[in-house]
Amino acid sequence: MFGRLRSGTLLGIEAQEIEVQVDVGGGLPSFQIVGLPDKEVSESRERIRSAIRNSGYSFPSGRITANLAPADLRKQGVGFDLPIALSILIASGQAAGPASAWMILGQLALDGAVQGLRGVLPLALEAAHAGLAGVVVPMENVSEAQLVRGLSVYSVATLREAVDTLHGAQPPVPVPSPANGEEAPAGVRAQHDLCEVRGQTAAKRALEIAAAGGHNLVLTGPPGAGKSMLARCMPEILPPLSLDEALDVTRIYSVVGLLPSGEALVRTRPFRSPHHTVSYAGMVGGGHGLPGPGEITLAHHGVLFLDELAEFDRRVLETLRQPLEEESVVLARAGVSVRYPASFTLVAAMNPCPCGHLGDEARPCTCTAHDVRRYRRHVSGPLLDRVELFVDVPRLSADELLGRPEGESSALVRSRVVAARQRQWERASGGARCNARLGPEEARAVCGLDEEGRQLLRRAIARFALTGRGHARVLRVARTIADLEGARDIGAAHLAEALRYRNASPLRES
Amino acid sequence: MDKAEFGATGEERACQHLRAEGYRIVARNWRTRLGEIDIVARDGDVLVFVEVKTRTGPGFGGAEGAVGPAKRRRLVAAAKAFLAAYGCELAARFDVVALEGNDIRLVRDAFQVDDVWATP
Repeated sequence: MFGRLRSGTLLGIEAQEIEVQVDVGGGLPSFQIVGLPDKEVSESRERIRSAIRNSGYSFPSGRITANLAPADLRKQGVGFDLPIALSILIASGQAAGPASAWMILGQLALDGAVQGLRGVLPLALEAAHAGLAGVVVPMENVSEAQLVRGLSVYSVATLREAVDTLHGAQPPVPVPSPANGEEAPAGVRAQHDLCEVRGQTAAKRALEIAAAGGHNLVLTGPPGAGKSMLARCMPEILPPLSLDEALDVTRIYSVVGLLPSGEALVRTRPFRSPHHTVSYAGMVGGGHGLPGPGEITLAHHGVLFLDELAEFDRRVLETLRQPLEEESVVLARAGVSVRYPASFTLVAAMNPCPCGHLGDEARPCTCTAHDVRRYRRHVSGPLLDRVELFVDVPRLSADELLGRPEGESSALVRSRVVAARQRQWERASGGARCNARLGPEEARAVCGLDEEGRQLLRRAIARFALTGRGHARVLRVARTIADLEGARDIGAAHLAEALRYRNASPLRES
Repeated sequence: MDKAEFGATGEERACQHLRAEGYRIVARNWRTRLGEIDIVARDGDVLVFVEVKTRTGPGFGGAEGAVGPAKRRRLVAAAKAFLAAYGCELAARFDVVALEGNDIRLVRDAFQVDDVWATP
């Protein structure tokens, strides 16, 4: 008396196919789940027992063993409830096995209802990858599963419905027409628009460059100057998510259970702004058992905004160094190691000093030199070395404050950003990469300078003590500025502007 | 009527009830050093170990509530001994028959080996 079905478990944002095997044998009544189940998987015994009884089936007598193979892999999640329950019914002759190989996922309520779970998108992708014909998922997760092409999706609301589905009594859910799958909904009004920000033309320019090349940006200025507002405009001037990027983001949000209800695919660029009290694990990921993703992964393909940069725990900021270079983070624990993608644009805002008014002619700063030094020490040199653009966001004048907000809309800026990115894609040989993400070889190939530019760079390296990484970053920014202008080669003017942003760092002690 | 007689009358009524439910009685008062099983019966393909609990009336938390962890462990030990003694490979189950005055209730699959510690 044996039943077997296929299911899956999550490994970070990847998934792995799991075979559920159930044996119902003679002996005293007992029910065990083996194969390295986590606490929530072991607890499914009680849910399964009640769900089977309350759905009008009988829970078989004797000794029941459920095995989750491969047995050396840690199993997480509540999605095993349904496949184990169905395997028990198959093993006890109360249900028939499916005609073809399906991945079966679902959490059971005590009354036999099938409830939704997290991470259905990566699991469905794995099902397709493993060559399975379909997936059986809870009703809530249908739209997520349908993002995967070439997979029949079966929706079930109760254990009884699931049994009928195995018999072939239920047809797969029809795939929605592609019209509602590809195009972004038109007319969605952005929450923040660049034209609402008064003044700050230099900062807006820096924001545009950051968006066009994927460069990191630090905004420095007194409280109330508009730093946060500027940063919040960033997602709207970045190019819209491509379908692949949208799938990447949706996969992450599916795993953490943050998918907006009613929408299958995440279409807006993530904008994450963790509070400055965020912990180490909250920022890069962690937690007990299999480490979960942190803010940097939730900001993948989007913007990580750190407001009040100097208030963050220094240790937490240091953890950003490696992900900023590698665009991913590897969380290694005893026995498991998970890689999470973390390709984000860092935008940070800070005051120039604790009182916030250093450098303001009208309002004197009340901080001592020691205060200022201590404040700035929170942000380390190695972290700032990875920031290409520093820009001042000064207090606005009376004219600027009282005048009408003027300036370009986010949509207009975005069109230039998209054009600049287009030039980068056309130039890139292998895969679409923005300037900030170019490898050293590719960068050398596309960042050639004329004689005047070379002279300028030579002087700048000596004068500003640019590091190897620092000067490579300056060159990439210059490339982006040239791309925004539509220039084929980097001119001295482009380089000079890039150097100005680099050198505007208020944290530089000189 | 002393305690033992009271229990024995209860077990007789329980057997009648089980037969009416389609069970075949296999053994009664099967004893080992580790514990005693009131009734062993067959319900179709399943071997059933039945514990009979008798009360003169409702109260004291009901008769089913009287099968606590200690009692369950003794029943499990005795059931293991029974299966071993007869080399039996049938699927097995624990039922409880609760007698309260003239009331009689059969609780099928009252508990499992892995929840002897759980409260009923």
